[in-house]
Amino acid sequence: MSAAVRGAALQLVKHLEKLPEERLKHIVSLKESQLERFKAVAGLKAGSQNAQQKPSLQEIKDIINRTSGPLGMPKDVLRKVQDALPQENLTVEAIQEQNQSLGHILNNKYRDYYSTGDKLLKPQGNPQYYQRLMDEIEGKKKETFWSAMRTVVLGK
Amino acid sequence: MLNFASLPARSSTFRTIGLTGHVRISQIASFSTKINQADGRKRDNSPEELASNSHLKSAPIDYSNNAPVNPKKKRPLLSDSKYESRLYQLPKWKEALGEIVIRSFNLDMDKVRSGPVAGSHYYAMCKEQGLQFENEPLSATAKFFYEDLKLPRTFSQWFQITILHEWILFVRMRAMPFKYGRNYQQKLVDRTFTDIELRLFDEMNVNSSRIADQYLKDFNSQLRGAVFAYDEGFCTDDSTLAAAIWRNLFGGRKNVDMIHLEAMVRYVRAQLYVLSKMSDREFAMGGFKFVSPDETVHRLTPQEEAVMKKAVAEKYEAMDKNPDLLPSERSKLSYEN
Repeated sequence: MSAAVRGAALQLVKHLEKLPEERLKHIVSLKESQLERFKAVAGLKAGSQNAQQKPSLQEIKDIINRTSGPLGMPKDVLRKVQDALPQENLTVEAIQEQNQSLGHILNNKYRDYYSTGDKLLKPQGNPQYYQRLMDEIEGKKKETFWSAMRTVVLGK
Repeated sequence: MLNFASLPARSSTFRTIGLTGHVRISQIASFSTKINQADGRKRDNSPEELASNSHLKSAPIDYSNNAPVNPKKKRPLLSDSKYESRLYQLPKWKEALGEIVIRSFNLDMDKVRSGPVAGSHYYAMCKEQGLQFENEPLSATAKFFYEDLKLPRTFSQWFQITILHEWILFVRMRAMPFKYGRNYQQKLVDRTFTDIELRLFDEMNVNSSRIADQYLKDFNSQLRGAVFAYDEGFCTDDSTLAAAIWRNLFGGRKNVDMIHLEAMVRYVRAQLYVLSKMSDREFAMGGFKFVSPDETVHRLTPQEEAVMKKAVAEKYEAMDKNPDLLPSERSKLSYEN
């Protein structure tokens, strides 16, 4: 691979590192899979970071409880697909485009341009909806049994 | 409720004040804010242009997983019931009887309407977006998903595309008064699963109801997971939304094209923007239509928004004041928000 491609990929890797960590662990992570993919192109050693961030037993249990394998794809096949490094013919132009698109996503270009305002973010029918969701994800405020029951009965 | 057949015609009149038509957009385009100017690239790209301009030529790993739906017996878009056929005209006496029932029992039409609007009209719209059959040409939106974004042509991919669009509608339904919005959501989900069950048997040739049940359970957990992930992405930032789209719509494929992700983020945010500018009344009457991926949505200037709101308010004020308005056309939902 030429030095120009490697340089472009290095830039992209730096950009990818800025992607925020997931609030909840999932089977696959956009950030990690893309880092792995482009670190190989950039000639960096992949996996050093992965090793540190191995999910704990609790997280694995949590993932298994939440999700079953995607339809028609047994788990071992899914794992193989995830582990395979795609063979790609990357050009400098293609990588720079990737970098630019990633930049737009990181800068929240579309969230800010197509801002929906409080009409949708604090919806009239259920103003606390997103707040409660985020509190639960971030572990700020846990739902109690009674507040959960209230949601089941009243729907909000 | 009683004259669903007239819905498409009615909604087309709403569309004249909507934001999304081709004409409307080209009118707005002349004085839009210039979102892409800083890039020095072409000024405004629709999601489709954006996706097809990519120079990354690598084929997705799962691209060979091509299994277009090849039904022995094709189901109609909604159901076999004549009441859901677009051509069916209800006899006048039935219509009149219906109006009398609504008037004498003082039925809440906003609640009653959730069935035909969310359950039939909106569901059909979501379903159509990614619908694909072997040996049949793809619709424009389906082309965007299967050809531009290189998604595999499978039944479960169709389901992912459908629930993405349903979630977009859920976001707007939450902003309706609670009891109505909730009802609309419920009707949409109910219809989705009834329809999938029938499609599994008729079009996917599943013979055992036990297997169909397993699929349905799997689809149900996919729906919950997707709604949760998209909600998180919607209220936080674009990178979270992009990751949610990548996990669900793109099936977490490793060699994803970032430009495709960007195009999808743009697509989703643009739909939500259009929805945020639509009043409860218009949305509840079935006046929303998804913006096609080859169209660009420009932000409205305050003046344009005022003009649009005024036109909507005038229209519904006149309707509400009309003493001859049929009981089935009444609504208490706001047209001013």
